[in-house]
Amino acid sequence: MKYFQEQFDALLEYRSDEDNALRDLRIRAFNDFKETGLPNKKWEEWQFTDFSLIEKGDFRLSREKDLPPIPKNIPGRIPNTYLIFIINGHYQPKLSEVPNEVLISTGLEHFQSNPKLYSFENKSVGVSGSSNPFVSLNTSMMNSGLPIYIPSNLRLSKPIQIIYLTTELSDALMNHPRFVFHLGERSEATIIEHYIGSTPISYFTNSVTKIEIESNAHLNHVLIQEDSTASSLTANTDYILHRESELNTNSISLGGSLYRHNIKLNFKEKGSSANLNGLSLIENKQHHDQHVIVDHSSNACHSNQLFKYILSDKASGVFNGKVVVKEKTKQTDASQSNKNLVLSPSALMNANPQLEIYADDVKCSHGSTTGQIDHEALFYLRSRGLNKKRAMELIVEGFAGDVIQSIQNLDTKEYVNDKVSLALRRILD
Amino acid sequence: MLSIKNLHAGVNGKAILKGLNLTINPGELHAIMGRNGSGKSTLANIITGRDNYEIFSGEVQFNNKNIHEMSPEERALEGIFMSFQYPVVIPGVNNTYFLRAALNAQLKHNGQDEVNAADFMRLIREKLKLVNMDEKYLSRAVNDGFSGGEKKRNEILQMLTLEPKLSILDETDSGLDIDALKIVAEGVNNFRNSNRSFITITHYQRLLEYMEPDHIHILIDGKIVKSGKIDLAQQIEKKGYSWLEA
Repeated sequence: MKYFQEQFDALLEYRSDEDNALRDLRIRAFNDFKETGLPNKKWEEWQFTDFSLIEKGDFRLSREKDLPPIPKNIPGRIPNTYLIFIINGHYQPKLSEVPNEVLISTGLEHFQSNPKLYSFENKSVGVSGSSNPFVSLNTSMMNSGLPIYIPSNLRLSKPIQIIYLTTELSDALMNHPRFVFHLGERSEATIIEHYIGSTPISYFTNSVTKIEIESNAHLNHVLIQEDSTASSLTANTDYILHRESELNTNSISLGGSLYRHNIKLNFKEKGSSANLNGLSLIENKQHHDQHVIVDHSSNACHSNQLFKYILSDKASGVFNGKVVVKEKTKQTDASQSNKNLVLSPSALMNANPQLEIYADDVKCSHGSTTGQIDHEALFYLRSRGLNKKRAMELIVEGFAGDVIQSIQNLDTKEYVNDKVSLALRRILD
Repeated sequence: MLSIKNLHAGVNGKAILKGLNLTINPGELHAIMGRNGSGKSTLANIITGRDNYEIFSGEVQFNNKNIHEMSPEERALEGIFMSFQYPVVIPGVNNTYFLRAALNAQLKHNGQDEVNAADFMRLIREKLKLVNMDEKYLSRAVNDGFSGGEKKRNEILQMLTLEPKLSILDETDSGLDIDALKIVAEGVNNFRNSNRSFITITHYQRLLEYMEPDHIHILIDGKIVKSGKIDLAQQIEKKGYSWLEA
């Protein structure tokens, strides 16, 4: 914990010319973080995840001098997309390509015009009565990420791919990216938030992404997490949906030694729908923990969650999904499904799907299953001449298939499918 | 093609087949009848190499090769196929993709060129007609959402595509209405030739009326107690099995 204080003090000194209001926000957020500290086993919503890698990490906040040589070929590029390229926390406008209508502002301008979005009190995610310490930490040290505004009535012809690359580190770095995606009324867009790591040095990325979808707008949000296995990652994604809007999300997580993702969705106005899909594919001693809260606080909203985990070796997974249907709301339709495939006897899955319903006019379902490869299916495929490894690949790929198929953009789907197949082949070898 | 000598075998250490002898020559269709628990499916599982099924003594040879130590896929590649009594649903695995992968494994094993997606589609469309299946099944996951009859037809479709030397039809008639039964029987009949052999396992004479078996064997308590021609099946239909019991 000591390194956080040192890094924070250094940040204030380094950014001594920063706007007073922003500086004040940082200080308040850091004080809030200090008060709670990192989550421990006694925090109910965090109890299955050990954050000591972050506690003991001694990470240094990335600065301009940490900009590495720009790679000739940007890794992870998905064809037919716009690009926002960020390397070790530094935005590269010259290498990025963004449609003219889309507005990217600096963090400071954005903060001044949207102070509410930077509030770090986020009570429903953290322990009861206290805030999410990672949001406070991000607010206090936010040093990268961008606010992206898509105006009303705009249909983007191509997805925007944000590549957040961490590479060529010489010592343990941390970054606290803050993204804001704002989609205007009746607009349609696909945003791919893509984290990639290629370094054996450990690093810590703590992102906060706030997404607001205005009336009748439609967003596809794909999060691809391919960080290196030496990394510790915390991600916090908040969605706000206005009237009759639509959201499809796909969180594909492959990397990281420690990964905690908080997803929070609020139906702020009536008649919206959201499909949230996730796939975690983990091996060795990787630990992935995803907490989802879908807040049905408006009428006639529809949510559908499908989260899958594939665990091998000594990997461990946590899924905690909660659907809250607020009092006096009508015509809520919510479903939640969590399915886990355990490929090794030493892998561990902890699943906790929950419904909290305070209204009558609801249609809700939830379920969670954890199992191993179906031996009948394996024999069936082998009896047709497929060898055991190929048969297992088919079964596991089939298990992951519906999450991947739910990605709407074809190039992105193909990219994810290739990456998952590649990882599976390695795991099953 | 298949030679079984004094086979003692079972599952999880329990003896079920107790001295079974059976020889099947190329081009022959043998029907095996018997009550539940007589060992019919165990025989199918022993030949195809299902987990936990083991041979205690005796010998199973396929084309003069001992198959005891062969994996299920090696047996399949050698030309053994089983139409499952209960075809397995495999969520997310596309029927067409799976069947092409299986055919290509077979072609590769035989030293032939693999078939590309376009050529495979032409091939599979022809085969679909033979079992009166709609093309929509091709885009579904393996047996997912299929009715009982559709699953059995899908098994026959796989047989017609993979062209095995020995096909074991394990209660392929169960759960089929008379129309579906005729389609399945016709699919098998058209597939018969002097090089291909069949074992059909059934409770009922019904399927055999459409298939014209060369030999019928009655299995009781893990042994073949009587062999004969089609009239033996007709006798069973009338009298049951008890007159054959010792």
